[in-house]
Amino acid sequence: MATTTIDPVNVRGGLRRRLSRVLYQHPRLRLALLLGGPIVWLLVAYVGSLVALLVTSLYHYQTDPTGLVPRLVTSPSTTNYQRVLDAGVYRTVAFRTIGAALSVTVIDLLIALPVAFYMAKIARPWARRALVVAVTMPLWAGYLVKGYAWRAMLDPAGGVLHEVFGHSPGFGLSGTVVTLSYLWLPYMIIPIYAGLERLPNSLLEASTDLGAKAGRTFARIVLPQLRPSIVAGSIFTFALTLGDFYMAQIVGGTTQFIGNIVYREFSANLPFAAAYATLPIVVMIVYLALARSSGALEEL
Amino acid sequence: MKHANRLAVLAVALVLVAAACGSSSKSTTGGGSTSTKPTGQQTLGAGEGSVSILAWPGYAENGSNDPKIDWVKPFTAATGCKATVKYFGTSDEAFNLFKTGQYDVVSSSGDATLRMVADQDAAVINTSLLTNWNDLDPLLKVKPWNSVDGVVYGVPHGWGANLLMYNKNVVKPAPDSWGSVFDANSPYKGKITGYDSPIYIADGALYLMKTKPDLGIKDPYALDDTQFQAVVDLMKVQRPLIGEYWSDYLKEQDAFIKGSLVLGTTWQITTNGVQADKTAPPVAAIIPKEGSTAWSDSWMIDAKAKHPNCAYMWINWITKPDIQAQVAEYFGEAPANLKACTLTVDKNHCATYHAGDAAFYGQLSYWKTPTAKCLDGRTNVTCKDYAAWTAAWDTIKG
Amino acid sequence: MSSGAAVSLRGVTKRFGAVTAVAGVDLDIAEGEFFSMLGPSGSGKTTMLRLIAGFELPTAGTVLLKGRDVTRLPPFDRDVNTVFQDYALFPHMSVAQNIAYGLRVRRVAKEERNRRVDEALASVRLDEFGSRRPHQLSGGQRQRVALARALVNRPAVLLLDEPLGALDLKLREEMQVELKAIQQQVGITFIFVTHDQQEALTMSDRIAVFADGRIEQVGTPTEIYERPMTQFVAGFVGTSNVLQPAVARALVGRDAIATIRPEHIRIVAVGAEPDADEMHTIATVRDVQYLGAFVRVRAETDEGARLVVDVPSFTGVGADVALGRRCTLAWSSRYVRAVGQSSSTNTGGEE
Repeated sequence: MATTTIDPVNVRGGLRRRLSRVLYQHPRLRLALLLGGPIVWLLVAYVGSLVALLVTSLYHYQTDPTGLVPRLVTSPSTTNYQRVLDAGVYRTVAFRTIGAALSVTVIDLLIALPVAFYMAKIARPWARRALVVAVTMPLWAGYLVKGYAWRAMLDPAGGVLHEVFGHSPGFGLSGTVVTLSYLWLPYMIIPIYAGLERLPNSLLEASTDLGAKAGRTFARIVLPQLRPSIVAGSIFTFALTLGDFYMAQIVGGTTQFIGNIVYREFSANLPFAAAYATLPIVVMIVYLALARSSGALEEL
Repeated sequence: MKHANRLAVLAVALVLVAAACGSSSKSTTGGGSTSTKPTGQQTLGAGEGSVSILAWPGYAENGSNDPKIDWVKPFTAATGCKATVKYFGTSDEAFNLFKTGQYDVVSSSGDATLRMVADQDAAVINTSLLTNWNDLDPLLKVKPWNSVDGVVYGVPHGWGANLLMYNKNVVKPAPDSWGSVFDANSPYKGKITGYDSPIYIADGALYLMKTKPDLGIKDPYALDDTQFQAVVDLMKVQRPLIGEYWSDYLKEQDAFIKGSLVLGTTWQITTNGVQADKTAPPVAAIIPKEGSTAWSDSWMIDAKAKHPNCAYMWINWITKPDIQAQVAEYFGEAPANLKACTLTVDKNHCATYHAGDAAFYGQLSYWKTPTAKCLDGRTNVTCKDYAAWTAAWDTIKG
Repeated sequence: MSSGAAVSLRGVTKRFGAVTAVAGVDLDIAEGEFFSMLGPSGSGKTTMLRLIAGFELPTAGTVLLKGRDVTRLPPFDRDVNTVFQDYALFPHMSVAQNIAYGLRVRRVAKEERNRRVDEALASVRLDEFGSRRPHQLSGGQRQRVALARALVNRPAVLLLDEPLGALDLKLREEMQVELKAIQQQVGITFIFVTHDQQEALTMSDRIAVFADGRIEQVGTPTEIYERPMTQFVAGFVGTSNVLQPAVARALVGRDAIATIRPEHIRIVAVGAEPDADEMHTIATVRDVQYLGAFVRVRAETDEGARLVVDVPSFTGVGADVALGRRCTLAWSSRYVRAVGQSSSTNTGGEE
């Protein structure tokens, strides 16, 4: 008499089961299915556009005395880069933009450290939740709304700062730096807050226990531990400021940043716009390389 | 969290890259150089149910700024084309946005039209599909800024001058010359404004055309090397006087209301806005004795429009006499359709804005795209093209 | 006790909102003593330690260090150091830098600092590990670094907050011996917080048993184990049969709560009689656990009292304690202890 037994090796099962088994047996295929889509997206959207940018930056326009518009020359040349280097204005604007990005980063850091410390280490749980909401709340408001709100703050003729403090930086570079510092502050507070939450209280207690007062504990224990968070936050504030151009239009008076020139040149001389747009990318690569060499990225 | 942070860093870097990357460039050829004359769309079919409009502020009002000012919703009611409206602040912005192909129809000024044609963004317009074509002012039809070799790319909408606005409480005596915004010793330093676009260089050129005849400027948009250098120098003299440049007219309106700006170039719509505000100081806007730069706007259709029939319907709607009357009065400009002149609330509107007045029309210098081939007909020199104007504007703002 | 006390606590109370963590503790800890604070979690022992360290300020009461009132002083002004439960080593510093931290803060000159760090490393047998980072060390090594980091400062009192809790059993036993040896060598007062009664019994000169923010009993390990004063101590330190008054009257003839340790009860072999001076009762075997050194038997008397009996394995009781068997349990009356009603609502129970 034959008995029916289930042979676990030769169970056929449905198509899904067989497919799952194939996947189980081929880890690389699994990985390909998992990451295939995102990688194609990254290649096309990011690498592709970056290559397009670099290629375009090597084209240039040649004046055509007979035609309606200049002639586009596609044989590679460094004409545009030469212009970036030669015309003083592009250097001036680049240094101004980088300076603004550094200032915004430092201002945000100085504000974020005590606020995040209070949130993570001192505030009671309900106050902490309220503060997290309060800190991130400005992110919910529109960018332009905030820009115009800051016009009302900075206005040299009857703005809030002028009325309350009797002085306002007015519309200009410093007004733009103040506004951008406000805009990007949450991007600095949140990583530092997260970093402080991860920092065990016992490390702070151990430091005081070993005789250190608050200042030394902050400088020797908290800051080194927070470095990855600070670097992460500064990448946000620095990169966002480096790429911003609209706030310069709203509260900048006559100030222009790299982005303003790229936007303007985009319609008149696309290859030049592309060449100038590589500048913030290079700056950012240098910034990330410095962060990396300081070891901060390894701990992320 | 570790990975999240690393991803965040990567994302920041990539966003930056992406933000810096525009769409790839199209090859540019001279528009309309084919031997047979293109005729555009042959027939007007049923509406596609929606249309995407790119417009100067005030040209396609749907009641969101002022509930009483609305000619977009009635258009949708009449045609079934649901209209979405996007405003732009400068011709460069219009050009960049129209280039994306997301908009069916655009109100384009003379300094952008030819660029759009050259970039192959604009469709040839079949005027036989336009219900109001015959009523439009002949001064504006088939002109160098809305056609190429007799092929129509733009349908006239309206025109007006760039005005000099001043705060009557502060600026005394009342200015009568553009010299007031170029005076290095101006008492209004820091409270003067200018238009934030390379095309604003033409305002300096116009002023020098009238005050420095030696330079021989015939057309503010046709400047050879020497002339251009003189104008750029003048704009650099002006730069320290400027409190802020404007490209968003609401920003300028706000600054005049608050009083942080007291003198500078403007549009009628901005002046109307300041004057309508009860808290604002009294302002006036004039055409100074040198004349003015000006705009003459045309509607254009995207060469690859997704809703071409609705786009034609919109042009037919916006050029109707009654709508033209509303727009002209709201924005403060001369309508293209002269039949509108009998329908304006202010019966003197057309006279005030010199609609159909060929002599007056000729005095203004309409925005055009500067080209290397001098627009004033000179052939012995090369003129500065728009790319050179843009590069100069980079330098002027510094 | 007060004179020469390293630490004196006078009516120390700590409340967190509505919760009273420490309720009026009075205690003197002698100089050079290895003193343990033993109790279950939430009994207030760790809070007590933090009050001595200065991480918390008491709601009421006084903390004296060598006779000096330090109640309101910050941690950095108190001559105590702490070994934390999670060791709290600074991850961005090397082992040597960790140990040198307290000396650096006190501006000890570089040469002396290096010498003392080397000594400290040697004392915990980590001479070769000075340049390692904490994450490169094993749990036991980190524990020793934490110890060295605290001891290098030569504090008057060393506070240890469950320092062995994260180690596995074998390592924990080794460290118990080592800690005790180090303490005897340096002669510093150790205050050791633990919830492990075995650990407390092994290492301590004296033990304070905590429950619900109060001290139940203070005494030497022998006193605590053999003469528990309260039902809680009897239940928490080691295993005890706690007999409520009704049962106690029936079994041991006492009109109070009485306790007896499982190892003090024996199972009378079948056919044999209990000794004349022994108390005895008949019970039914309900459960048998083999625990290596002994066999733990749970039996139920006819009166309904459940008793735990530990029978040494070598006596080979075997068949006598099969499930359901009836047997005679016998004990000497001198092992029966009457205890007070505990101040704690917690009855301790078997560990």
